Amino acid sequence: MPELLAKGRKDTQEESLDRARGEKCSVGMENGVAPSDEKPPNHLQEFGPQLKIIKINEQVRELQTIIRDRETERGDFVFYADRLIRLVVEEGLNQLPYESCSVKTPTGAMYEGLAFQRGNCGVSIMRSGEAMEKGLRDCCRSIRIGKILIKVNEETKTPMVYYAKFPPGMEQRRVLLMYPLLSVELVLKKFPSVTILTSEVLSDCPSSFGQRYFGTD
Amino acid sequence: MAEKSERPCGLAINLRSISPTEDSSGSCDSISDTPSQPPSSPLKSKPENVRMFRRSNRTIYTAGRPPWYDSQGQLKEPFVIGLCGGSASGKTTVANKIIEQLGVPWVSMLSLDSFYKVLTQEQHEAANRNEYNFDHPDSFDADLAAMVLKKLKEGKSVQVPIYDFKSHARLEQKHDLYGANVIIFEGIMAFAYKELRDLMDMKVFVDADPDVRLARRLKRDIAERQRDLVGVLQQYNKFVKPAFDQYIAPTVVYADIVVPRGGENSVAIDLIIRHVRNQLEQVLPMAFRAQLRSAHQGQPLPSSLSIVESTPQVRGLHSIIRNEEASRDDFIFYSKRLMRILIEHALSLLPFTKNVVTTMEGTKYEGRKFDGKRLCGVSILRAGETMEPALESVVKDIRVGKILIQTNEYTSEPELHYHRLPKGINDDHVLLMDATVATGAAGVHTIAYAYPKVKIVTAEVDPEVNDKFHIIPGIVSGRMRRILMMVYHEGISEIDISEQQFTKWTEFIPQGKN
Repeated sequence: MPELLAKGRKDTQEESLDRARGEKCSVGMENGVAPSDEKPPNHLQEFGPQLKIIKINEQVRELQTIIRDRETERGDFVFYADRLIRLVVEEGLNQLPYESCSVKTPTGAMYEGLAFQRGNCGVSIMRSGEAMEKGLRDCCRSIRIGKILIKVNEETKTPMVYYAKFPPGMEQRRVLLMYPLLSVELVLKKFPSVTILTSEVLSDCPSSFGQRYFGTD
Repeated sequence: MAEKSERPCGLAINLRSISPTEDSSGSCDSISDTPSQPPSSPLKSKPENVRMFRRSNRTIYTAGRPPWYDSQGQLKEPFVIGLCGGSASGKTTVANKIIEQLGVPWVSMLSLDSFYKVLTQEQHEAANRNEYNFDHPDSFDADLAAMVLKKLKEGKSVQVPIYDFKSHARLEQKHDLYGANVIIFEGIMAFAYKELRDLMDMKVFVDADPDVRLARRLKRDIAERQRDLVGVLQQYNKFVKPAFDQYIAPTVVYADIVVPRGGENSVAIDLIIRHVRNQLEQVLPMAFRAQLRSAHQGQPLPSSLSIVESTPQVRGLHSIIRNEEASRDDFIFYSKRLMRILIEHALSLLPFTKNVVTTMEGTKYEGRKFDGKRLCGVSILRAGETMEPALESVVKDIRVGKILIQTNEYTSEPELHYHRLPKGINDDHVLLMDATVATGAAGVHTIAYAYPKVKIVTAEVDPEVNDKFHIIPGIVSGRMRRILMMVYHEGISEIDISEQQFTKWTEFIPQGKN
């Protein structure tokens, strides 16, 4: 992930991330992951294999509906957002490298399974991205999680990295970069080596995820 | 029958002694000095003392209830024995001896006395003056009795009214009676109604010499109930004897067997037992589990089975859970993750309907919502309980019921010990949870065959079962966790299942000895 972060430090654009095509619950990742046979719907194929969408079923659609519904109370919003985040995180973990292994079961038989490699980490983009930390932590008890704070500089009107804290050995790690809403188009244009995993790509951009999730302005 | 007005309250069958060693005159007093066997926890009871386990005066059963359906999911219809005979003829003794000698678990006794009609104010007063005729076919609600007996025969649980002989009305509370392998229906007018007779598989008329019956009544009423000789005789002459001659004695023509000398006639009872056993062996095949294992071998997995997509993460989780070297901590943590994935998958199989909402931005969003009345969970103790947290963390405020099924060490058959289900489960979509299905692919086939409307959702199916019912390659053999499994039942209401019936198919998931 160093590339993304290095560039990000210079010209990350929080404003633009939230603009244009918004999407929910994105896990940005370095490329080089296992290729997927699944192709996104037609209108999204312009993004190529860099854009992945989790398996959508009606249950996921219900979660998305509840989160979009303005009548949804905050308690429900948080609950169902957490559920959706968990699904995205689980799928995000599927993108990580693994190797096959066989284990001996207590009955004495062998089970042909696989083991995930170590050396991954999560990075959340403050503040909305922090909403996804819990989902990641619930799946990977000991994963290292870094943070980035990006704000628009009042004077220059450009987004700037105010704060960044990363686990040691970042350049060796695969990074799950977490943010709930971002512009697929902009990100992929700037960082073609990143894979984006999301639950939905929308033409109208929802706002205020962080506000509703954390109950702040 | 006016002596009944002296009973403090209650269900006649409850008041009768069922113990064959006791005085079996049907008197209510004999029960109080019967040291009833302590209903020790069925969980701890040893097989040898469980065979004739007694919890109430009405039901004798093993520690749990064995399956009441065959491996095709067809109900094994219970055998109904009708017992008729005059007052104090020894019906209860015969019933007790049948129960005792049959040695069949789950015998239910139902008495026509529970179905006395509710009296009007006038009749109530007449009854208090000993002037109401309880010994008449019109004094029983035969339609209700037939309905209850019919439901019992269908394997459904029923609510038996409790007749209060003080107020001559039915109490608000009712007795729950569950289906059984053998149902004994007794009453002086048991054969007087065609609709009841039609439900009986075997009709036994207990005959006793009128002098003997009168002597018994006199002894019982005078010695035990402090009634005077004149009163008892008066009542006998006015109601009991005419009723016997007019309504009871003629019904002997419907009987398959007449037992002279009542309960003392051991040869007749022995014949009855032999016949009933013979019938039961035909309708109650044993070796349920072995049948499950051999059925449906080598067939492709059923279409009602839905397996969670085998993503790298899912396989990775399995590799950790199945590893014999996995620490308990890891086992718990990673099985929880797998359970959550499993439940999310199961929920996606629910019916949904279109739902258009307004977003925060004011635009319309076309989404989905659950298209059902309610959702509830039922976990099968004990392994199924481990899935409750995952369910609760995914479905807000879900109601969760429980079922306990244990293996009888003697017979190796599964038995139902306990169930508490959420109210109105008939209308719900039910997520029935168990961590593993011990019979593996065979069990899955059987559920799918017997209950095609049940959707089975699982994380993985292990192909083989060895002769110890261990699944290969398995998960944790010590605890017999074999395949991570959850069963999901859709649209229970469609097949109008009672709670009792609902639990029946859960027994296709025999529990390991934890």
